[in-house]
Amino acid sequence: MNDQLKENARSGLIFGVVILFLMLFGLTTTLSDIIGDLFNLPSQTRTGNSSGLMVVLALIALWTGSRASSADRSNFRNGLAGSAVTGFVVGGIVSGFILLVGSLDAANVEMRDYLAQLDRQSVQFLLYGRSLWVGVLITLCIFVVFGILGALLSYFFETRQAGVKLQTQYLKIKESFLDVSFVARLREHPQAKWILYGFLLAIVLVMPQMLGKYWNYAMGTVGIYVLMGLGLNIVVGLAGLLDLGYVAFFAIGAYTAGLLTSPAPITIQWNFWPVLIISIMLAALAGILLGIPVLRMRGDYLAIVTLGFGEIIRVLIRSDMMAPYLGGPQGVRDIAGPSIFGLSLATEKGYLYMIILAILLTILFTTYLQNSRVGRAWMAMREDETVAQAMGINTLTYKLMAFATGAAFAGLGGALFAARNQYTGPADHTLMVSVNVLCLIIVGGMGSIPGVIIGAFVLKGLPEILRELDQYRLLVFGALLVIMMIIRPEGIWPAPRRKMELHDKNLDGPPPQTSVVGNEG
Amino acid sequence: MSILETRNVTKRFGGLSAVDRVTVEIPEGSIYSIIGPNGAGKTTLFNCITGFYPADQGDILFLDQSLMGLSPDRITQRGISRTYQNIRLFPAMTALENILVGAHPRLKSNLVDAFLHTPRQRTEEKEALEKAQDLLNFVGLKGKGDLLASGLPYGEQRRLEMARAMANEPKIILLDEPTAGMNPNESRSMMRFIQNLRDELGITILLIEHDMKVVMGISEFIYVLDFGQLIAKGTPEEIQKNPQVIESYLGRGAA
Repeated sequence: MNDQLKENARSGLIFGVVILFLMLFGLTTTLSDIIGDLFNLPSQTRTGNSSGLMVVLALIALWTGSRASSADRSNFRNGLAGSAVTGFVVGGIVSGFILLVGSLDAANVEMRDYLAQLDRQSVQFLLYGRSLWVGVLITLCIFVVFGILGALLSYFFETRQAGVKLQTQYLKIKESFLDVSFVARLREHPQAKWILYGFLLAIVLVMPQMLGKYWNYAMGTVGIYVLMGLGLNIVVGLAGLLDLGYVAFFAIGAYTAGLLTSPAPITIQWNFWPVLIISIMLAALAGILLGIPVLRMRGDYLAIVTLGFGEIIRVLIRSDMMAPYLGGPQGVRDIAGPSIFGLSLATEKGYLYMIILAILLTILFTTYLQNSRVGRAWMAMREDETVAQAMGINTLTYKLMAFATGAAFAGLGGALFAARNQYTGPADHTLMVSVNVLCLIIVGGMGSIPGVIIGAFVLKGLPEILRELDQYRLLVFGALLVIMMIIRPEGIWPAPRRKMELHDKNLDGPPPQTSVVGNEG
Repeated sequence: MSILETRNVTKRFGGLSAVDRVTVEIPEGSIYSIIGPNGAGKTTLFNCITGFYPADQGDILFLDQSLMGLSPDRITQRGISRTYQNIRLFPAMTALENILVGAHPRLKSNLVDAFLHTPRQRTEEKEALEKAQDLLNFVGLKGKGDLLASGLPYGEQRRLEMARAMANEPKIILLDEPTAGMNPNESRSMMRFIQNLRDELGITILLIEHDMKVVMGISEFIYVLDFGQLIAKGTPEEIQKNPQVIESYLGRGAA
């Protein structure tokens, strides 16, 4: 009993610190604004009406409460007491923080010197526009009351003994919804699969007509990331080569397309279509050239070297030395767009259709690739490079192939990206591009094609929708990756094999492999 | 005619000669064994033959052609397959895919074929799948082709590894302790299986084995290694009577 309460207090401490951290970043304020918008409450931060903040804190408290009570579901009273304690501790930390900021503010200390978020207005906001002690008391009350309410709610939904059972039941339903009933049924009825594909295709093809200019542009960006994700998926997901310099090939594609179609800095103005092919080929060639010295390395070393390569390319295109040829920090302007039979495709809609076409082709290619001799050789290399070589696979050649193939898709993405923006410059080719692409693969599900698409929508599409959250993108990225690794390491829509691998309950597997080559003589 | 031959092969690690001037000769279509106590250099000799460790001295001949200086993939392409003492399948690939990877040197389709899904690639793929299915049935894993290799029980993993080694239609298979970790029943069926391999498919077998029942039961000829050196060779009957072998296995004074 006593231990249980201590445990509750400790988890309260952790929750409290996390919430405090988020408040310091101003995330609660932003969330309040969003909730205010959603429910048409009076404008939040500006007028100092804090109803949105109360809702946010109450929701957090509800969640803490239900989490805290989950530790001991067997005893109703213990659970309630536990969540009351947790709520009290969390509330204490948060209201302590408010008390501290409030009294500092009352003493006319300028806190913005230390934390940009804490101006006078936002302090008033945290106090709900009331006096110091009332504000603190309100916060404490919210956490205790809603903490207990959260515990009650979790009891309401999961009766005591059935609690665990219900949860597994729920998981089962979730599984069956996602996999058994849906995917497996699709497998049983191949015709249904084609109908579904046709339906999806129709949606995708009609979508650009329905959306406005802005959304066509935003979807185009998501599409380019899908394209690059599919490409990197070959390198990382299939062949198991961790490439952190993927942006380099994107940059090479973009600059090739830019330089060969724009009037400056080089006066070559070719047609878009041959240039697109050249961009793809040059990117692939760069993949091979980089690969030759680098691919003898394995794992982490490869990641570091490719990371360096990405930076080298970025520095080069920025540099004054190359400025006469590459445009330097200003980049390349007036990149020409494509046209078919005199009909210009250089509109948001036209580019979106081109990107969709490129994605469809890439999906087709990668599906073929996965079920081919080459794809299997890549997978074998990923699983065990030494044994793959013993199977007669020339690992160096196959690594180069994987690198070049992945690079080609990045080149395609880069060329489309540059042509669409009619501009490309060093700022388009930062390390963040590589990180984004890698993240979307991991979040979506390594080695899975639908996973890449979902990942791109989550990581590139959602920030477009939730503009207010833009400044927390990196924070959310980090949190998302950590959360994914803990609760769903295989990604949102994993490849079937990876799912089998990570959730395989069969314990008859082989003993852990230790040595490079058999260890006994 | 000998299919595989090592001549005074030496492999040193630092000051230690793991394999010291070992000469063996394996005739085509035979079942030969290499035995010896732990650390005698048996697996190292395998690794030298398959190209994982370049031999420091001596020569290795396969069908009268030297294998010295060739990379492991080239050696496999010539027709030498192996299995591993601690099973090394591709765990996250299905049983069938494991066999198909084994068939890699036999197939020809390249990146362009794969991209464009050419007719050539499709016929080859279909044929390869059929052969892989046959092999799967041959090793008694019928119907388990779509399971992940890591999900198979131990004994079946061993057999899958054999099927994978057979997939490129090798002329010789090097088996590194194929019955390790098996109970007597499983060992017996593995013995029959190895014998079948030779009798039905005509594949030459070179075996490292600890289980004396297996070694004496199926080997036609035995080489004995100790501390990297060849200390004896002969038929199973001769080896069983050889005082030096008994000494190295049981210690001095036992003989």
